[in-house]
Amino acid sequence: MNSKYWNEEIETMPRKKLEKLQVERLKKTVEIAMGSEFYAPRFKELGITPESIKSVQDIKRFPFTTKNDLRATYPFGIKSVPLDKVVRLHSSSGTTGNPTVILHTQKDLNEWADAMARSMYCIGLRNTDIIQNTSGYGMFTGGLGIQYAAERLGALTVPAGAGNSKRHVKFITDFGTTALHCIPSYATRLAAAFLEEGIDPRNTTVKTLIIGAEPHSEAQRKRIEEIWGAKAYNNFGMSEMCGPGVAIECQEQNGMHIWEDNYIVEILDPETLEPVPEGEQGELVLTTLNREAMPLFRYRTRDLTRILPGDCPCGRTHVRLARFQGRSDDMLIVKGVNLYPIQIEKILMQFPELASDYLITIETIGDNDEMTIEAELAQATDDFGMLQNLTKEITRRLKDELLFTPRVKLVGKGVIPQSDGKAKRVNDLRNNH
Amino acid sequence: MKTIKQISIFLENQRGKLSDILTALKDQNIEIQAASVADTTEYGILRLITSDQVKAARLLSAKGNLVNLNEVLAIQVEPDTAAFADAVDALTNGGVSISYLYTFHKDGKLVLIIRPASLEIAERVAKEKGLTLIQGWE
Repeated sequence: MNSKYWNEEIETMPRKKLEKLQVERLKKTVEIAMGSEFYAPRFKELGITPESIKSVQDIKRFPFTTKNDLRATYPFGIKSVPLDKVVRLHSSSGTTGNPTVILHTQKDLNEWADAMARSMYCIGLRNTDIIQNTSGYGMFTGGLGIQYAAERLGALTVPAGAGNSKRHVKFITDFGTTALHCIPSYATRLAAAFLEEGIDPRNTTVKTLIIGAEPHSEAQRKRIEEIWGAKAYNNFGMSEMCGPGVAIECQEQNGMHIWEDNYIVEILDPETLEPVPEGEQGELVLTTLNREAMPLFRYRTRDLTRILPGDCPCGRTHVRLARFQGRSDDMLIVKGVNLYPIQIEKILMQFPELASDYLITIETIGDNDEMTIEAELAQATDDFGMLQNLTKEITRRLKDELLFTPRVKLVGKGVIPQSDGKAKRVNDLRNNH
Repeated sequence: MKTIKQISIFLENQRGKLSDILTALKDQNIEIQAASVADTTEYGILRLITSDQVKAARLLSAKGNLVNLNEVLAIQVEPDTAAFADAVDALTNGGVSISYLYTFHKDGKLVLIIRPASLEIAERVAKEKGLTLIQGWE
């Protein structure tokens, strides 16, 4: 493993040849998706067949796929292969309605592990590394996705899982962990746990951090690198595309290479759904080229980004995505959890003690995202204990929904600011971008 | 039932909030006879007994406050600690559980404002024990 690349041929493939590979794989994917109850009739209507695909430009003929489509076809409505070929599923928490379920064949899992292993190799990790994963193992793809990839890379992999910083500190210290996978906010929390034990994180064996699943700024990355005395690389994945392993920064740390042998990348105006001028910001829309259980065509990620111009000095020819600049819908990412304000609203509306106004405020306190939910009381009471219990109960229900504990604050009438007659629901004071 | 009306106002912990409420009452010549505040750092409940509870409740509600009117027990005793203690003993021995209590002096007497878990039980016990219940003032 002395090469600079995990797969030199693919990673440095000239653009023309790469596009040819994409066309081939798109044809193949269409053929597979003919087996999907969801896509087959749509393809038929639009005259999409493997033979009709001549160039990457043909992607414009395809219909879009959205998260709502995944929900509407829950659980297996989009699958392209019989269930006996499916070996795993991952799922979102499904708190805004039906969960979104993503299916994998054994080949899908292998390709996914390979792509993420390639991403790890790209940032300098090798089979001599000891990689500790701080993601939860379960339905979240950051657990098993990183596990299989790190094993595929040949690294000693520590499936420590989420939470319990003390245990992470012990493992890192005892095992000599050289690389960590974590969300950016956990990187700082874990560093604090080291300092509490009287250990400077810079004196640990950790030299690389794979950070992702949570928007963060360049300044935040620099701070993480400083407190750890290590390199931190931005990693992008989403369960709909497989999980982690879709795109990663190379050692130049200037944009994330998205693995174009696995995806067709489009940057579209979220309003018109037409391509934005080259290099401008728009919504990232992805088509899977290397998946069989559940290929997705023109999947609207809702993430806003742009393609960085020019060639990367690292020699990889796959385009680079800029740091994400937000969302084209109202999804929020807080403490690594994806959520929509409507989830919070649904919980609040279950309490007859509350009126309809609420305000979600998210701010950076120390190194963490903190969420405060101000909820308007419907009526006063003389019973102070009732208000305290109400606050507790709302907090508990929100915690069940969000998987973290927000601060709940009861307010009276007219406290929540109105703008243009329409209530403002989210006040995001974080500086992520 | 022999009870009196109490106003409860939800208070955000906001500068000037209490002062706004007091000014509004003053402007309408409503006299406050007793006030009690239960609070945390984020919000509180201001409980009031005033010279005109219905008028005060309407006024404060119209000013954009969350206002609640409810019935509480008002027990009049001699203005000393012994009488206070006796009244509380009588109630608790009679099986009354007290959610909260505050007091004020009026006409040379001590008045206990009591919110029991059950008004009915509390009223019955108070009568049995010979306590003086007040039903509003002239």
